[in-house]
Amino acid sequence: MKLYYFSEMPHHEFPDAEGDKYASIRLEFPNRFFDREKAAANYQRYLTEYELADRVGFDGLMINEHHSTPSCVNVGANMTAAILARTTQRAKLLLLGNILPIEDNPVRMAEQIAMADLISGGRVLSGFVRGVGVETWWANANPVHNRERFEECHDLILKCWTEPGPFRWEGRHYHFRHVNPWCLPLQRPHPPIWVPGTASPETAVWAGRLGYTYVPFLVPFDIARELFDFYRQGAAEVGRTVTPDKLGFLICAVTADTRAKALEAGRHFVWRMGPTLRGPAEFFSPPGMRSRAGTQFALKARPRSLANMGYDELVAEHFIIAGTPDEVADRFAHVQRQLGIGHLLLEAQESRMDHPTTMRSIELMGAKVIPTMAGL
Amino acid sequence: MNPHEETISVGGVDVHTWVGGRGAPLLVLHGAGGNRGWTRSMAALGERYTIWAPTHPGFGTSGDAEWMEGIDDLARFYLWFIDVAGLGRPHLLGHSIGGWTAAEMAAMSPAAIDRLVLVAPVGLKPEVGEILDVFYYPPPKLREFTIHDPATIPEWETLFAVPPTPAEQEIALRNREMAARLTWKPYMHNPRLPNFLPRVTNPTLIVWGREDRIVPVVCGEQYRRLLPNATLHVLERCGHLPPIEQPDVYARLVGDFLGGSIPA
Repeated sequence: MKLYYFSEMPHHEFPDAEGDKYASIRLEFPNRFFDREKAAANYQRYLTEYELADRVGFDGLMINEHHSTPSCVNVGANMTAAILARTTQRAKLLLLGNILPIEDNPVRMAEQIAMADLISGGRVLSGFVRGVGVETWWANANPVHNRERFEECHDLILKCWTEPGPFRWEGRHYHFRHVNPWCLPLQRPHPPIWVPGTASPETAVWAGRLGYTYVPFLVPFDIARELFDFYRQGAAEVGRTVTPDKLGFLICAVTADTRAKALEAGRHFVWRMGPTLRGPAEFFSPPGMRSRAGTQFALKARPRSLANMGYDELVAEHFIIAGTPDEVADRFAHVQRQLGIGHLLLEAQESRMDHPTTMRSIELMGAKVIPTMAGL
Repeated sequence: MNPHEETISVGGVDVHTWVGGRGAPLLVLHGAGGNRGWTRSMAALGERYTIWAPTHPGFGTSGDAEWMEGIDDLARFYLWFIDVAGLGRPHLLGHSIGGWTAAEMAAMSPAAIDRLVLVAPVGLKPEVGEILDVFYYPPPKLREFTIHDPATIPEWETLFAVPPTPAEQEIALRNREMAARLTWKPYMHNPRLPNFLPRVTNPTLIVWGREDRIVPVVCGEQYRRLLPNATLHVLERCGHLPPIEQPDVYARLVGDFLGGSIPA
């Protein structure tokens, strides 16, 4: 099983009592609490941590993107990918991902991803996501078009990568009369495509049909299995066999020299489960963004919000794994056995987890955990 | 004619329609909250006019129209509806997004309608303030913004106090999605509409609630200035729903205007 290092690049640099005054720290929490000097230092720090993860042997570095929220100030997945393409050597660069429905120029996106792939020597794994509602508000994109735009944007990017230009694109949402990108990915026919899932059966079926790597985020094991079943259903429709390298899973994880230290560090993940997801349903799911099936599945997938679960419960349910290297290796193996996955994505830094703790966790993962994953 | 429900098929879309009353035809276009049916103000207006109150495509139990992109599409659609339903040259009344639709229809084809009534219409960007982002708020919060004083609403019990059935909840969701489809960007207005409104010389009544917290009353002033033959009537102690909040005053006002006893 392959391991991936992931940091949301949080900006938890404000008094929590200030954030608590607002309906949500997304969209509404005023950006006067954005600390420019601390952010400048944090970006350096987070990139250093990614670079260490590359050196110690993580199979991949996962990069994501959000907007209008201190929970993630990585506001450009492709920018971060471009930096890491130069400053890392070996790990895959997993963009998970670019938010397609809010993108107005898929041709530019195809070019940017291609350029990162070229600079990195063909290390890009290109994830495509629908985004949470917050990004739809941020972009002022009509949520009722979310899925249509996701699929059309995807189709155009793929065409940019695989069909010779110039050509014309006149779809429902995108119109380009002269498409001829002079930047194509190094990997042929194109970088592998990944798709995350939290609740949408349609996305799982779609990813299965197209043979993309599918990764549920922070859901209970039984829900992940159900989503994988939807994925297999899509794959079966086109006669595709599903191998473990098409399935991944995302959890939060940290290790340290002692169990006590690791459990202390792991508490920082609670912030991302609760305060960062607090807010009106409209923020996360504006009208029409989710289908009825997706809405119903989301209710089932989250009978209890992660925000209402205590730290011990989050650990018991494997949303957070924190322990000595031996312990986390054992837990990772357990997750692998439960889900039959080929990729485990570790959200490995959060909230106010400090730099030394993060660096030590990465070092220990490299020295003691990653070597044990080879046999899984 | 006793009020009843019909399905009128226009361009392949089945349009659920309330029809009733007596007198000259009056086409009534509902707001983003959906078609509330044969309410008190409708019954009062039905004493003097034959009301045709369709449920917009994508709303309520009308058919889908996912191909629609904006209110201008809905306006063209209702000009077609007038032909199909054989309404001749009806009076046209619209509330909120229905008012915007009515204004677009009048600007597209002023000769297709007789008198025009715009009730708290969106459609113009306010010179001062903003149109409330109705999609940003949970429905209970939105109702607080929409209604000035529930105590003044005679139909409160039947319209708002009964918990919605699952079917009604589904319709509310559907209404919200179609409203988003039609009005998301530019939000609730057409930047080009002011250029076309001067064409509309039809006698026009604009009705607004003084306490409207969804669409600023200044938009009423803007419509009045842009429409050559319009009068603005502002109801005191009234929010965004004049037909529901002050049904009797509202129906009298509109009825008199359509009957010609209030000069535009």
